[in-house]
Amino acid sequence: MKSIRRQLTRETLATLALLLGAGLFAIGLTVRTLLDRAFDAALLAQAHAVGALTELEAGRIQFDFSADFLRGFGGLRARHFFELWTDAGRVVTRSPALGAADLAKPRKVRVGEPTFYDLALPNRRRGRAVYLPLRLRETDGGAAAVKRQSLGIVLIMAADRGKLDETLSGLMAAVAGIGVLMIVAVLALVPRLLARGLSPLERLGADAATIDAHTLSFRFAQTGLPIELRPIAERLNELLARLEASFERERRFSADIAHELRTPLAELRSLLECALKWPESRDPSTDREALEIARELEILVGRMLALARGERGGLTLTKESIAMRPFAAECWRVHEAPAEARRLNTRFAVADGTIDADRTLFRSILSNLYENAVSYSPAGSSIDVWGEAADDGYRLHVANPAGDLSAEDIGRLFDRFWRKDASRSGGRHLGLGLSLASTFAEAMGWRLGAKLDAQERLVITLEIPVPVRRGRRA
Amino acid sequence: MRVLLVEDSARLRKTVGLALRRSGYSVDTAADGEEGLWLANSHGYDAIVLDLLLPKRSGLDIVRELRRAGSTTHILILTALDAVEDRVAGLRAGADDYLPKPFALEELIARVEALCRRAYGSKQPVLRVSDLEIDTAARTVRRATEGVELTAREYQLLEYLMRRKGEVVSRAEIEEHIYDGHVDPMSNVVDSAVCVLRKKIAVDESSAPLIHTRRGLGYILGETDGR
Repeated sequence: MKSIRRQLTRETLATLALLLGAGLFAIGLTVRTLLDRAFDAALLAQAHAVGALTELEAGRIQFDFSADFLRGFGGLRARHFFELWTDAGRVVTRSPALGAADLAKPRKVRVGEPTFYDLALPNRRRGRAVYLPLRLRETDGGAAAVKRQSLGIVLIMAADRGKLDETLSGLMAAVAGIGVLMIVAVLALVPRLLARGLSPLERLGADAATIDAHTLSFRFAQTGLPIELRPIAERLNELLARLEASFERERRFSADIAHELRTPLAELRSLLECALKWPESRDPSTDREALEIARELEILVGRMLALARGERGGLTLTKESIAMRPFAAECWRVHEAPAEARRLNTRFAVADGTIDADRTLFRSILSNLYENAVSYSPAGSSIDVWGEAADDGYRLHVANPAGDLSAEDIGRLFDRFWRKDASRSGGRHLGLGLSLASTFAEAMGWRLGAKLDAQERLVITLEIPVPVRRGRRA
Repeated sequence: MRVLLVEDSARLRKTVGLALRRSGYSVDTAADGEEGLWLANSHGYDAIVLDLLLPKRSGLDIVRELRRAGSTTHILILTALDAVEDRVAGLRAGADDYLPKPFALEELIARVEALCRRAYGSKQPVLRVSDLEIDTAARTVRRATEGVELTAREYQLLEYLMRRKGEVVSRAEIEEHIYDGHVDPMSNVVDSAVCVLRKKIAVDESSAPLIHTRRGLGYILGETDGR
């Protein structure tokens, strides 16, 4: 499996080793060149010194070498050598340590300037030499030199480079040693540093690996997290929060469904078990009751599916023009008979105005609000429905006496399956009507709210924030 | 055995009540928590079948109230709430058993039977007095080697007397445990039922009388009249 840490370690180590090797090599080469140049400069200076002590007098080459000067070039342990040649290739003189041996000449000579080259010394040690052409001019020996004639000679000055080679070898060994030490240090430190640097990322990954459907409440800690990882943690936390809310909604929905289905299923099962165990107890009412329970279950399942679709955002909206006043009255018609049966007085004051909305969803919202008002208003009381067009949309209100609803109950009014009385109500009320209305309103971008007014009436307000094409008030 | 059923679903009240009655229990029913608590406090039930989500007063409230008042009546909670925390809350409040909906009627009846047996400190389904034997699980009665046919009410009366063998059982106690709230307290229904039961368990002339009358006190079931 690909690992960022392993890949980074591998690539960093390879790059560092390459840079380190190249750097040390460049340092070694530079130092070697500088030392060689210094050695050559000293060699050239010595050659010029010998040249300066060589004169042409009366056509003869004379040397002004002192005994001390020559001592440096004599003896078995001599480290410097020189040899003078005429242009014609005749040896003029050589340092005493050479005996009869010659110093090797360079294979290729640079014209008009000194030529440096390596050579084997007569004592078989490695040496370095400078090939220096000189032109001797004859003088009269007086205070002012007068040029009469000149003679070309070649001076080869050589020196044992054993010490230089030793220095260079020591230097190279030091550079190589330092290189090895640095590579060991890099090998030891780079993985640790990378591990330390990548530890927040690894922690993030380890934390993420612990998350499953049962730990959706987990949130990634953002304090101490590097700024590069914070946006990731923030986004993951947002996703987790959304996922948790979604799971919680599904869990609650499943629990609600299970709970709401248990009683009608128990009713159906016990009814049928009784009929099978004691057939004589079965009568037409038994079958009617079984059918009623089946119908109630059908309504319950239908409403729960509609609610689930609404909450999932799976509703398709088909907008059309709706005139508020006639629409509110039209939706009321199916509730007229139940309202009359309960002697409820209904007052309508819905302002004219036309909006664009999904007619089916809007009808379902109004129908649920009306059904709620008719079912829970005390017999003989009044229901008020009024609507007003405003600059920012339309507001429709449905008000009825609240009975024993408290302010705390208002907050739970739109919860699924919520009923003031937690017990069953013989299957008549499922506690889904207002929840459905609220979900459908949200699907259209509307808002459903509730409050208790000064007369202790429950006022449910539907806020419709859409452009209203105004008309005359009803 | 007399059982109180507190359930707000009219359909369940009807079917569970019918099943318990057909199984030989006297059943009183209540549709809300207040009525249920009042009935539980007013009568000595052998067991109470109680819903939790009730109008006016919750089932848990009723359990706590009964236990606070010192009631030892066995209570079975019958509810749609089936989460572990709901069961734990119900049992910790003082209930003896917990059955989530939907349920099998046979299981409910078996659990009520078990609670009633525990009410009389017995775990054995078979009760014996002399050569009279009843199997409370199979609801059969035998005298010596002969089977005895009893109506549901007669069986309840015999089971109640056998569970309290050797004790004087008053007419009021019999009314309380065998008959539901519809019996007229001034009627001689208990005496008549005891008379019929005596005849039925006397399978032949050699059968020793087992139900004895204590004048002014009630009845006692045993090989002797206990004096």
